Amino acid sequence: MSKEKKDTQLPRWGMVIDLNKCIGCHTCEIACKVQNDVPLGIWRTWVKEIEKGKYPNVVRAFRPTLCNHCENPVCVKVCPVHASYQREDGIVMVDPHRCVGCRYCMAACPYEVRYVHPQKGIIDKCDFCYHRVEQGLQPACVEACPTSARVFGNLNDPKSEVSQLIATNAVQNLKTDMGTGPRVYYIGLDQATMEIKREVEFVWEK
Amino acid sequence: MGKIVYDVQYQTSMAFLISYYFYLTGLSAGSFMISTLSYGFGFEKFKPAGKIGVVVAVILLLMAPQFLLMQVAWPIKSVWNHFVYLNPVSAMTYGAFLLMLYPVNSIIYGIFMFKGNKKWTRIFGTIGIPLALAVHGYTGWILALGVARDYWNTGLMPIVFLFSAMVSGISMMILLIMIRDYFFTKSRDVNYDLIYSLAKILGWLLVVDLFLVFCDYSVLLYSKLEGQEVAHFMLFGKMFLGFVVLENLIGKVIPLVIVMVPKFRENNYLLILAAVMNMIGILAMRIVTVYGGQVLPLM
Repeated sequence: MSKEKKDTQLPRWGMVIDLNKCIGCHTCEIACKVQNDVPLGIWRTWVKEIEKGKYPNVVRAFRPTLCNHCENPVCVKVCPVHASYQREDGIVMVDPHRCVGCRYCMAACPYEVRYVHPQKGIIDKCDFCYHRVEQGLQPACVEACPTSARVFGNLNDPKSEVSQLIATNAVQNLKTDMGTGPRVYYIGLDQATMEIKREVEFVWEK
Repeated sequence: MGKIVYDVQYQTSMAFLISYYFYLTGLSAGSFMISTLSYGFGFEKFKPAGKIGVVVAVILLLMAPQFLLMQVAWPIKSVWNHFVYLNPVSAMTYGAFLLMLYPVNSIIYGIFMFKGNKKWTRIFGTIGIPLALAVHGYTGWILALGVARDYWNTGLMPIVFLFSAMVSGISMMILLIMIRDYFFTKSRDVNYDLIYSLAKILGWLLVVDLFLVFCDYSVLLYSKLEGQEVAHFMLFGKMFLGFVVLENLIGKVIPLVIVMVPKFRENNYLLILAAVMNMIGILAMRIVTVYGGQVLPLM
């Protein structure tokens, strides 16, 4: 499904998240909130945590979640005013001047990473910190990660760290059956964190 | 498989305002169809329903987009941007055009009808039928193209929406014609011939509607995990009251029995009850479909 970019000179930004290294500290969430001025109640990235097994054999599984910056994004297709768009380097963005807050993209996104900004009334989501990336910096979550579980880089460059991690590890994407071509790769992704939460219960609800 | 220790809360993208918008558009499309039965297709029996049908269709379709604009965070910008930054592959783009074309066409059609110009009434009525189908079919289409949700993402969705629109529109017409004939005519002579014909059409449309629901759910129950889960959620889970009881039992099955059995149909109180119950049931259907279809998290 994914269309190959002919011009390999252009970067294609992507992320690899090594879940063997993730310790579930939620630092990436905080770094993102601070960097992008994300209001209370919404998150551009968050770490879903699952506890599985029975005592004494218990394990916690983490899944840092963010926009997958798909190769073939559904949100761009459904947006009636072209507010959701894909940059040349693959970053999927929301144009705040065009977005009218109809929330159709929220309903269509298979990863549920879009939120209504409570003050602006428009749709908000992860943009790979493009303002940092354009200056040659790493996204805030990547830079803040204490265990270097998150790696960001150019997927078109075979020598970049992300490309080598993808080439040498078993990696997974989320929901590949939707044909979206996600560009966030996970190493050591646990099945339990991908499952829909209706069968499981929130601990705090008890 | 495990217990969630931490996850964020998901926002609901579309809820009651969109449900009311879909409901009013459906009522409008349904009453427009009844109006064109005599003036567009030439069934003389339905002539007394023609004028009231078009008036109600126009009023409802002027009301309906208000709910849509309330849902959208930037209403004025949304109208402007729909034309300036048009995206031809988005279902919502076509909605913006249809919501403007359809009432204009209905108003022209109504003006010719009230002036008694048969030829132009028929022409604009004929143009109006595909527009009415489209203006309501597209609402189902919007949901069907919300590909992330298995409950919505089916080709049946526009057809289900169309049939529920016609069903609720006919129920509303039955009530309105009874009210008009009883309270606003000197003779207080209710046109029972027309009412019973409408009730019979209502019955057959309800049969088709229930059949479509059966098709949808039988496929969902056999489909992939997410489809099965959402079907269980609707049939046996938290949506049981809304979907099974309110939408299908009260909204469709009981009215179907009333309008199909001649003894019940000719009892005025039961017929009024059937029409009211059906209108409530279809409102429940809109809420169940829009809200219930997306209440389950995806990840």
